[in-house]
Amino acid sequence: MKTFARLLAAGIVLAASSLPSLAADKVHVAAISGYFAQGFGVSIVNGLNKAKDDFGIDLKLVDTGNRSLDYEEQFANLAKSGEYDLIFVMGWELVDALQKVSAQYPNQRFIFIDGVLDSKSMIYANFAEEQGSFIAGALAGMVEDLGPSFDKIGSGKAIGFVGGRDIPVIRNFLGGYEQGVKYAAPDVKVNAVFAGTFDDPAKGSELAQTLYGQGADIVYNVAGPTGEGVMQASAAADKYSLGVDIDMCSSAPGNVLASMLKRGDVAVYSIIKDEVQGKKVQPGTRTFDLASGGVEVKLCDDVAAKLPQAIKDKLETLRQDVIAGKITIAKAK
Amino acid sequence: MIASLLPRNLRRTLAGQLLALAIALALGAVVILMIDENPLRVFATLMRGAFGDSEKIAGTLLQTTPILICGVAACIGLRGGMFNVGIEGQLFLGGFAAAWVGFSFALPPVLHVLVAVAAAVAAGAAWVSVPAYFRVRFGANEVVSTILANYVAVLLTSYFTIFLFKRPGGWSETPPILPSAYLPELFSFSRLNIGLLIGLALAVATALFFRFTTTGYAVTMVGSAPKFAEYGGINVRRAGFGVLLASGAVGGLAGGVETLGVHHRFMEGFAPGFGFDGLIAALLANGSPIGTIFTALFFGALRAGSLLLEVDTTASREIITVIQALIILAVSADLLLRRKGDRTGGRRWKF
Repeated sequence: MKTFARLLAAGIVLAASSLPSLAADKVHVAAISGYFAQGFGVSIVNGLNKAKDDFGIDLKLVDTGNRSLDYEEQFANLAKSGEYDLIFVMGWELVDALQKVSAQYPNQRFIFIDGVLDSKSMIYANFAEEQGSFIAGALAGMVEDLGPSFDKIGSGKAIGFVGGRDIPVIRNFLGGYEQGVKYAAPDVKVNAVFAGTFDDPAKGSELAQTLYGQGADIVYNVAGPTGEGVMQASAAADKYSLGVDIDMCSSAPGNVLASMLKRGDVAVYSIIKDEVQGKKVQPGTRTFDLASGGVEVKLCDDVAAKLPQAIKDKLETLRQDVIAGKITIAKAK
Repeated sequence: MIASLLPRNLRRTLAGQLLALAIALALGAVVILMIDENPLRVFATLMRGAFGDSEKIAGTLLQTTPILICGVAACIGLRGGMFNVGIEGQLFLGGFAAAWVGFSFALPPVLHVLVAVAAAVAAGAAWVSVPAYFRVRFGANEVVSTILANYVAVLLTSYFTIFLFKRPGGWSETPPILPSAYLPELFSFSRLNIGLLIGLALAVATALFFRFTTTGYAVTMVGSAPKFAEYGGINVRRAGFGVLLASGAVGGLAGGVETLGVHHRFMEGFAPGFGFDGLIAALLANGSPIGTIFTALFFGALRAGSLLLEVDTTASREIITVIQALIILAVSADLLLRRKGDRTGGRRWKF
């Protein structure tokens, strides 16, 4: 959060100091996705709007809808005029259309959010979810290690993980989480399950209930809308859950330990900021990690108040160590 | 012969449709004014998006193709008195079957396409055969059973795609089909393929079949007056079963054309809504396959034009959907066409 405020302040100062040149050539940005109304997509839209307010960029949002037949024309319509300096793209179902159109318009700079593809002419905004998940795992492990002395924790020494589908990016979350637990609380066991779908809250709830029933006291939800069910289940079982992508503390107050934020807003904002400042964004991969504030673990206030200071200090130390490179986290990708 | 294929009250219908379109545009203009955008600019952009240059026209025809083939599938059902609402599901199954043949087998070029198309047709027919059997054997309402079959079809193909045949990586797709199974493209600048020609040929063939063959006449009779048909010695049950199977087969073909011609793979939820668009196109055309060519083209133009609308104006996707719905609603109102006492004997379809 602090990092973001700093970024913002720097942005405002810079925007103010370079106003005349801005008016001369305004940066035109478009963003295209089918997910602007949910979770991670909302975060991206927030970042785009912030950039619009701060830098006065010209912003165009395009909703793809859900017909794959349309995607290619939608990309071509955006790229054809060459009007947009940057086009942000989010969603794996768009990838084939994106690659085709990108090959057709090689000078158009596309930014693919949350993944890295083969094409060399694109910009990739990748998130180090394994770093955030490492901290989340360390937190969950240490809290579980407190045992029954901490509210709602049993003596089972087990925590859980509910993934959406078993795909590389979710494996990467799990890998970081497991490494975090192993590092901070080696005798806590991780039970991981995959729902097989991102769109089934009922299944998420069922799986979480099963994990709680098996003695896990904290379950990490990395399952998109399926995960809504995990959060609900934590309230029903009066255990703990960990949210993902956005701040989920309010979805089950008192039962959410923390959320591992993937700051889509930070990513798009900082890319646009570079462009506005004249540092033309070049093709390649940009990783948003703990150091750049692209991923972070946000404790929920109500639980944080009860949490021993030692755990909070340890989390901060771990964060610094990861940033400094003293701890390296293996990627599952 | 061509003239006899056209609906009799064509001129009257056209005048009614033009009037309806004018009303729709007026209503749309009100909506557009409410979002502070210029209605003329919006409608001009819509037209430019649909017919602006050769690429845009190809885009319109690309959108038209699945709607047309699904529309013909619906026409076959409507003529035979069967309301096949399951075209959507048949399209998904057909699409998956064609893709499966496309990526699983290595066959010589032309044969590969033929086998894949045959698989799509067979999958569509197989998918409708259960509701069709229950319809003719037990009189189960085919509207309900085919709608329900849609949900199963969409989820079943999702299951196949995600669990059995998933391409590695973040995609929810099958591996790409082999180039030998591609439907040939018509132009270098568009994904438009011979699927359009297949659709057109199918529409004309269906119209000819109903107009000039004994079987076609028998089916039409089964649809409009089943008691009379039975009295005339037609096996109504067998005819009804055949009609649904044919309708489902064409629905499956629509899916096959999409995967083989456009996407070259199957992806989860790959073409939502085309089955229903086709059904509406067929109903607007009053069950006439030739009429469906025009209504499908209308839908295709509306869809293709909307894509540019979203990029070039400030109208959001929601507003565009509202405008589309207004146009469709007004056009389907059929202002000057009186169905009652129509010389064709009223509505052809029965619930």
